[in-house]
Amino acid sequence: MAIEFGYTISKPRAIDIDRNNLRKSDEILREMPELQTCIGCGSCTAVCTAGNLTSFNFRRVHTLVRRGEYRGAYEEMNKCMLCGKCRLVCPRGINTRGVVLLLKRKLGDF
Amino acid sequence: MSFFAPFCLPFMIGAAVMFVLLAWKWGSWLWRLPEADKRLVAKGIFTRATPEAVWETVRESLLHRRIFRIDPLLGYMHMSLAFGWFLLISVGWIETVAYLGLRYVPLQGHVFFKYFATGLPHKPAFDFVMDLLLLLVLSGVALAWFKRLRSRALGMRRTTRHVAGDRVALSALWFIFPARLAAESITCALYGGGSFLTGGLGAWLAAHVGVMPLMTAETVAWWFYSSCLGIFFVALPFSRYMHIFTEIPLIFLRRYRLRSGEKQSSYDHFQVEACSRCGICIDPCQLQSVLKIDTVQSVYFLRDRRYGMLRREVADNCLLCGRCAEKCPVGIDLNTLRVNSRDALRNVPDERRYDYFQGLDRSSGEGRVGYFAGCMTLLTPRTMQSMERIFEAAGERVWWADREGGVCCGRPLKLAGETDSARRMMRYNTELFRKHGITTLVTSCPICLRVFREDYALEGIEVLHHSEYILRLIREGRLPLGRTTERLAYHDPCELGRGSGIYEAPRAVIEAVGELVEPAHTREEALCCGSSLANTAIDDGQQVALARNVAEELDATGAGAIVTACPLCKKALGRGTATEVRDLSEVVAARIRPAAGRATK
Repeated sequence: MAIEFGYTISKPRAIDIDRNNLRKSDEILREMPELQTCIGCGSCTAVCTAGNLTSFNFRRVHTLVRRGEYRGAYEEMNKCMLCGKCRLVCPRGINTRGVVLLLKRKLGDF
Repeated sequence: MSFFAPFCLPFMIGAAVMFVLLAWKWGSWLWRLPEADKRLVAKGIFTRATPEAVWETVRESLLHRRIFRIDPLLGYMHMSLAFGWFLLISVGWIETVAYLGLRYVPLQGHVFFKYFATGLPHKPAFDFVMDLLLLLVLSGVALAWFKRLRSRALGMRRTTRHVAGDRVALSALWFIFPARLAAESITCALYGGGSFLTGGLGAWLAAHVGVMPLMTAETVAWWFYSSCLGIFFVALPFSRYMHIFTEIPLIFLRRYRLRSGEKQSSYDHFQVEACSRCGICIDPCQLQSVLKIDTVQSVYFLRDRRYGMLRREVADNCLLCGRCAEKCPVGIDLNTLRVNSRDALRNVPDERRYDYFQGLDRSSGEGRVGYFAGCMTLLTPRTMQSMERIFEAAGERVWWADREGGVCCGRPLKLAGETDSARRMMRYNTELFRKHGITTLVTSCPICLRVFREDYALEGIEVLHHSEYILRLIREGRLPLGRTTERLAYHDPCELGRGSGIYEAPRAVIEAVGELVEPAHTREEALCCGSSLANTAIDDGQQVALARNVAEELDATGAGAIVTACPLCKKALGRGTATEVRDLSEVVAARIRPAAGRATK
């Protein structure tokens, strides 16, 4: 029986964009080209109502999805309450609420 | 006397098809009404709701008061067509009785009475009245033609782009009355009778055309008239003209308190098919007037929904500002239908998604009065600070529901169509309010206010918008304010004005601290700031364009500052103008007389 230390060692992990299937990611970008202007500043996450209460991190989910890492993204996205604060603070004026709905629509079966 | 001629066939077939289809449609819609709605009908039918509905039917389905209010000429156009045709039918009925006494006459006998009654002695009074009514209807048709060329003359900048089926029905309708005039005039030319219109035209024809060509023309004209009627009747249940027969049951059901909800129900059919596609909803739409988007307005949304070709892009692209519903002559609940369409297109209940609400409570303070800032107020901290000063000055003990973060009220999610998930938020917040035993709930966000009032079950808790609450404090003398002569332009938030019917409270509050000025569009006509949470389709540039357009009107008042009563409007307008935009609470907090503030401490 393994001893429980209260922490584990993370497996080394890298995102290989050449290996990942970017079909969904491309589809998402096609439907919402403004996502290309995201600078990953994280303002959306800083003001996030859901992020304030749980570990939900919009910037992280979006970044992973764009790189073809879809697993768990739908469930994560579902924590969003769609309140719209992120849209008001986005310095690039990205329609973040539209992004949430789009990601959920595209990734419902992942 | 026989009441049949071969030319009657198109009319008879058309009318039969129409009545069968109507009976089937009405029957199946009523049959499929939810049990609760059926009970409402049963409860309401023998109350004064029924005579009230009859009167409303006369007013709105025949006389069209609401269209007259939009434009008198447009109102006259529709009234002359609808009321004129109704009178033609009913006076025609009386005419048959006057000629033949009370006996059974088949439908085509009434409709084509002029053709069959040539052998009877004439009654000039009826001839005159019927000609007058025909002239009334023809004037409406002429205006309808004219409206195609110059809609502005009838108070409409833009009119509906119609689908093919509507065009067929429309053309048939336009030809019915000229065809009737031609047919009756030719018959009058051959057999005499008629009054100033058909008689006069008949006499002219008799003088200029030979009997044989007239005989041929008579058959052709009556066939044409009957065919126009037949085509119109067959097309009616499938086209915009279904509104003629749907508005009547809609009026009754509405009087029995049936309403559309966040889920689609059979009652929605009555609303959707009562749309006449008049296009009055197009002009008020800011997506059309400012952004030139002209495929998403309520008329197109209802059309697409009715024919089962509704796309998400159309359903989503709406501010739900309610400016169109305010003008709709049929009084269709356009916003609710849009929301339940979104629900049908999107709702994917996921029971686990908000499990993190479990045991969550970040509220602070204690008091019978609860203050729910709402997400948007958390982004406008000055509103929050002002509310704090106001509460303090009034000596109110306050329970802060979400100062340290909390769960959204649920309306944004509901407006996006995820109604089941929104219910989970509503349940959470309701339990939170109950747990802390508040009796008054104040919110500075009209979006939250509306969902608290409409969707939450908060019996025993009075829900107030901060404008109402502040006004109450002022009237009770608990908030001594110093008045200045500063000119303040007030912007009506959609959810507060049209949505919750609160127009007076914020104005009274502004007048207590400064001089109120109003933009060109105000109250029920107020423009939307453009950042409505209901629209997930338009982009940032479009939102700013809308904000600029609204701010322009507000700036034109020359006011020193723009005041609104919604944190989202405040944020949105701020992007459209250089003028300072303040929340109502800020304006009030800045004018609290310090001495009084200290006295209550």
